[in-house]
Amino acid sequence: MEDKVKIVERREIPKGLKVICGLPDVGLVGTIAASHIISKLELAEIAYVRSDLLPPIVMLEKGLPHSPVRMFGNENLIVLSSEIAIPSSSVYSVIESMIDWIWNKKAEIVFTLGGLPIPNRYEIEKPKIFGAASDEALLKMLNEKGVQVIQRGFLVGPQALILRYCAERNIPAIALLAESFYNYPDPEASSVVIQALNRMIDIEIDVSELIEKGEEVRLAMRDMMRRTQAELARMKKSHEYDIPGYYIK
Amino acid sequence: MRERMEEFEEIADEIFERFMERPSWDVRTHSLEPLCDVFVSSDRVIVTADLPKVNPESIRVNGIADDLIEITAKMRVKVNFEDLGVTHRRGEFSSFSCRVPLPVPVDTSKAKARFRRGILEITLPRKKGYEIKVE
Repeated sequence: MEDKVKIVERREIPKGLKVICGLPDVGLVGTIAASHIISKLELAEIAYVRSDLLPPIVMLEKGLPHSPVRMFGNENLIVLSSEIAIPSSSVYSVIESMIDWIWNKKAEIVFTLGGLPIPNRYEIEKPKIFGAASDEALLKMLNEKGVQVIQRGFLVGPQALILRYCAERNIPAIALLAESFYNYPDPEASSVVIQALNRMIDIEIDVSELIEKGEEVRLAMRDMMRRTQAELARMKKSHEYDIPGYYIK
Repeated sequence: MRERMEEFEEIADEIFERFMERPSWDVRTHSLEPLCDVFVSSDRVIVTADLPKVNPESIRVNGIADDLIEITAKMRVKVNFEDLGVTHRRGEFSSFSCRVPLPVPVDTSKAKARFRRGILEITLPRKKGYEIKVE
């Protein structure tokens, strides 16, 4: 049987690169961050996802059709981004295929960027950053870089699967999650995850423009947020608010 | 019970899908529909709305019924489709407008609102019922 999800490479992609994932999730934190990184580093489209499990949507750019789920990159970095929320019904297949592709590319490390929803977000001046990782050594790295490790709690949605599949395949992976709005685009939280990423890998991405243009970003991301909200509800994203069951230390 | 819940979830999904399948903008009234959220607690309902680029003094909240409020706000600058990267549509927008249905009745006369970091927060006390004596 033909694969339900196919990654089509537009050009030869070297192995051993760093991968950054910014898929639609709470506050569109990862999506906004990925879009900012792609724009600042002037990354070109290098691959895309082709799948009947995604809605029949093409992204028109200068009149030409593109897949809404794409990989952008240069000689050091691959950024995985999506213009649409990954449907809850196909999130397993799509993410697993992406991670298989990343495994075949022998990625050096995978970062998944996202938000950690908090109900009183608008009372917070500067969102805090938290992290989780696929192995102990990376947790140590998070601590060294000033990222507080989430000791216990639930992670739901695309980044939960990215972390899980990477851990299963021994691909080093880190989730960087900033406190964020659940239902509103949060460019400030995106700037916080980019700043944490800057400390972790050898890149220097300026976030001042992202903060200055915050209102424009919020305006432009309204529709994507609405659609993402619907998929997150189907994935039972609110599980992230749940307190895990009692256990004896 | 489970069947009822599934049925309820299906209906809710259908209403949501129908709500999604229309534009979030109206060129006729030059208005955009803001992203809104409703949170219900034991004594109040909190409605929030994301209102980027608005003039805080222009924000108006009107109680239409005890389970429906209307939010309007004027933007500081007009925004057109091209500003949002869309070149095949015509129209410009100068305000936000929406009606938010509330899941429980509230006392709109005692509502309070504040606007912080671009987010409008409206707190509406829930209508009081009658007390049941515990024996």
